[in-house]
Amino acid sequence: MNHNKRNIMLTLAALVVLFGLACFVQAEVDSYIRRIVNLCLIYAIIGLSMNVTNGFAGQFSLGQAGFMAIGAYMVGIFTVPVELRADVFYAIPMNPHLVNVYMPLWMALILGGVLAAGIAGLIGTPVLRLRGDYLAIATLGFSEIIRIIITNATSITNGALGIKNIPPLNDVRYIFLATAISYVLITLLLNSSYGRAFKAIREDEIAAEAMGINLFYHKNLAFMVSAFFAGIGGGLYGALLGTVDPKNFLFTLTYNFLLIIVLGGMGSVTGSMFGAIIVTAGLEYLRVFDEPLELMGVAIPLFRPGLRMVVFSILLMICVLFWRHGIMGTNELTWEKIIHFVKHPLAGFRKKGVQGK
Amino acid sequence: MKTKKFVSALLASAVALSLVAGCGGGDKKKPDEKKPAAAAGAVKVGVFLPLTGDNAAGGELELRGIKLANKLHPEINGKKIELVIADNKSDKAESANVVARLIEKDKVKVILGSYGSSLSMAAGNIVKDSKVPAIGTSCTNPQVTKGNEYYFRACFIDPFQGTVMANYAFKKGAKKVAIVQEVSNDYSVGLAKFFKEAFEKLAGPGSVVDIANYQTGDKDFTAQLTNLKAKNPDAIFAPGNFTESALLVKQARQLGIKVPFMGGDTWETQDFVNVGGKDVDGVAFSSAFDSTKAATPEAKAFLDAYAKEYKGEQPGGLTALAYDSYLIALNAMKAAGVEDSKNIRDAIASTKDLETTTGKTTLNADGDPIKSAVIKTVKDGKFTYIDMVNPGDLKVK
Repeated sequence: MNHNKRNIMLTLAALVVLFGLACFVQAEVDSYIRRIVNLCLIYAIIGLSMNVTNGFAGQFSLGQAGFMAIGAYMVGIFTVPVELRADVFYAIPMNPHLVNVYMPLWMALILGGVLAAGIAGLIGTPVLRLRGDYLAIATLGFSEIIRIIITNATSITNGALGIKNIPPLNDVRYIFLATAISYVLITLLLNSSYGRAFKAIREDEIAAEAMGINLFYHKNLAFMVSAFFAGIGGGLYGALLGTVDPKNFLFTLTYNFLLIIVLGGMGSVTGSMFGAIIVTAGLEYLRVFDEPLELMGVAIPLFRPGLRMVVFSILLMICVLFWRHGIMGTNELTWEKIIHFVKHPLAGFRKKGVQGK
Repeated sequence: MKTKKFVSALLASAVALSLVAGCGGGDKKKPDEKKPAAAAGAVKVGVFLPLTGDNAAGGELELRGIKLANKLHPEINGKKIELVIADNKSDKAESANVVARLIEKDKVKVILGSYGSSLSMAAGNIVKDSKVPAIGTSCTNPQVTKGNEYYFRACFIDPFQGTVMANYAFKKGAKKVAIVQEVSNDYSVGLAKFFKEAFEKLAGPGSVVDIANYQTGDKDFTAQLTNLKAKNPDAIFAPGNFTESALLVKQARQLGIKVPFMGGDTWETQDFVNVGGKDVDGVAFSSAFDSTKAATPEAKAFLDAYAKEYKGEQPGGLTALAYDSYLIALNAMKAAGVEDSKNIRDAIASTKDLETTTGKTTLNADGDPIKSAVIKTVKDGKFTYIDMVNPGDLKVK
C-alpha cells in the first residue's frame, strides 16, 4: 500500500471515529459543552475559509463578517416557520414575495454560501486589484456595506429588530458533518493545481505571473471559495444562536477569525482547526478568572469580570511573540508526522542533528 | 536555543499556572457544593449581563441594582440567595454560552438579565429548552418574551413607550408630528413604529408628516432636519441613543426649529445633558422610574440603600429595573419554593400587584409588565418629573 492510499484510509477512519465521538457528545454531554463544541466547529469552518484568502492566496482580506452575515440572513429569512413570521416582522410586514417561502436548513445554508460567493465575485473584480493594506480596507468597508444594507432592507431582513424564531440547531452531528465536508473540500482544493497556484501567488505575485498563473482568476477564485464557506459558517452560526441581527456582524467579528488563523498559522488547514478550538474553548476555560476568588477568606479584587480577557491577551502576546508564524506556521499535521511521533515519541526533544540521522 | 528553551519553560509554567488557577476555582467550588448538603442549601440565582464590551456601562448599572437587591433581601424561606454573576461580553454567542453554563454547570434556578434585547434573545431558546425561567432587566424588544413562556421582563416594552408618548403628544395639543429614528437601533425603530401607529389613530391619517432616518454614530443631522423643518411639525419624536439624540436636538435649535422634542428612556443619562447643554432643556421623554419621588416603600428602601452605597449619585431607571427583576424572582420563589424551576416559572407568570421600585408590577400573558410610565423633562440640566401615565389612562393602546 503506498503512502497516499494509506493516508486517505487513515483520514476516512479518523472522520468516522470523530463522527462517532460527535454522536457520543450529542447523546451524553450537557447542552453547555455541546454548545462550546459546536461553536468550535463553526469557528473552524470560518477560520478555514478566511485562511484560503489570507493564508494561502496571501491576500489580506477582512470581509469575513459581511459574508457570514449573508449566510446567517439566508438562514434567518428562509428557515423561520411560516406561521411564526408575523411575530418576528411585527413592525414592518415581511415582503409578500418571501413571506411564504420556506426552506430546510441545508438548502438555506447552500443558498447563503452561493449568494456570498456570487457577491464576492462581483466585489472581487474591482477590489482584488488592490494589495496589502488597501485590500484590507476595501474589504472591511465592503463588509460594513453589507451590514448597512441589511439594516435598511427592513421588509426582507426586519432591519435592526433582528430575526428570532430560527429553529435552534444545537446538534453536534449536523455541525460536525458540515465542518468535515468543508474541511475535505478545502483540503482537496488546496492540494490541487489551484492550491499550488494560490501558494505561488502568496510567495511572489510577479514570479507567479511569469510562470503563467492567471493572477486575477486565481485571486478571485480564492476570494469566492472563502466567501462560500464563510456564508455556510455564518448560516450555522445563526442557526446555533436561533437569532440574527445586524449588530452581530460588526467588523469586529472578523477579528475573531483573524485571531484564529494567526494563532493557528496563516497557511495551515490543521492550524486553523487548532486555532478555532484554542480560542473558543480556551476563552471558556479561562472563565474561572471572571469568578470571584477568595483566598483564605479574603476576596481578591482582581478576580472580577474582564480578567479572563486580560489573561487571554497576555497568553496570546506570548504566543505571537515567540511563535511568529502561529502554532503550525505553514505546516500541516500530516499522518507521516503522527506516525513518526508514535514510533519515536521522544525524537522531537533530541538535538536537531541527531534527529536527522 | 537557550532562549527558546527558556521561553518554553516560561510558557509551560504559564499554562501550569492557569491550570492551577482553574483547579483553584474548582476547589473553591467544592465547599460551596458541600454547603448545600450541610446548611440545606444556598439558592443560586444566575445573572448574565454585559460587564465588558460595548454595553458594559449599562450592564454595570444593572449589576448594582441586582447586588443591592441581594443585599437587602439576602434570604428566602431561611435559605441564603447566592448570585452567580456571569459576563456575556456584549456578544450574542457569548451570551448563549454563558446562559447554558449557568444552567448546566451552576444549576441556577432562575436567571436575571440581560441589558440589550439581542443578548437576551440569544439566550431565549436555551432557557426555553431547559425550562429555567429568565427575567429580563432592560430588554425592551417585544420579541424577547413573545412566544417564549420562560422569558419575562421587568421593563416595559417598546410598543408601550411609543404609545405613551403618542398619547402625551396628542394631549399636549400636537396635530402633526415628525419622527426621526435611529434606523440601526432596534429600540428606536420599535418606539417610532408604535408612536406612529398610535398617533395616526388619535390625530387621523397623515398626521405623521415625516419619518427621517439616521445611523448609530452619525454626527451631522442637518440634511434630515432641513427637510423636516419645511414640513413644519408641531413636535418631533426622536427616540435613540443619547449622544446622537442630544446632537440632533442641538443642531435643530441651531437651525431655528423651536418645536418640542420627545424621546424614550435612553435619554435619562447625564451624558445626554452634558452633550446637549442648554438646548435639551424642555424635552419630554418617558421613563420607568422617578428617583426624586419614591412610589412605594420598596422604592424608598432602594433609594436609601443606593444613596448609602454610591454616595452622591442618583439611581437611574436601569438600576431600578434590575432591582425589580430580582424582586420578581424573589417573590415567585417565596410562593413556589426554590426546588423546581417549572413551579418558579408558573409563580413568576402569575405575578400580580407586586410592590417594586417602579410602582405595582403585574405581568401579562406575554410575560411583560403592565405598569405606569413617568414623563420627565430636563430643567436647568436636571431631570424633572412632569407627568405620570397609567396603562388604563391611554386613549389609544
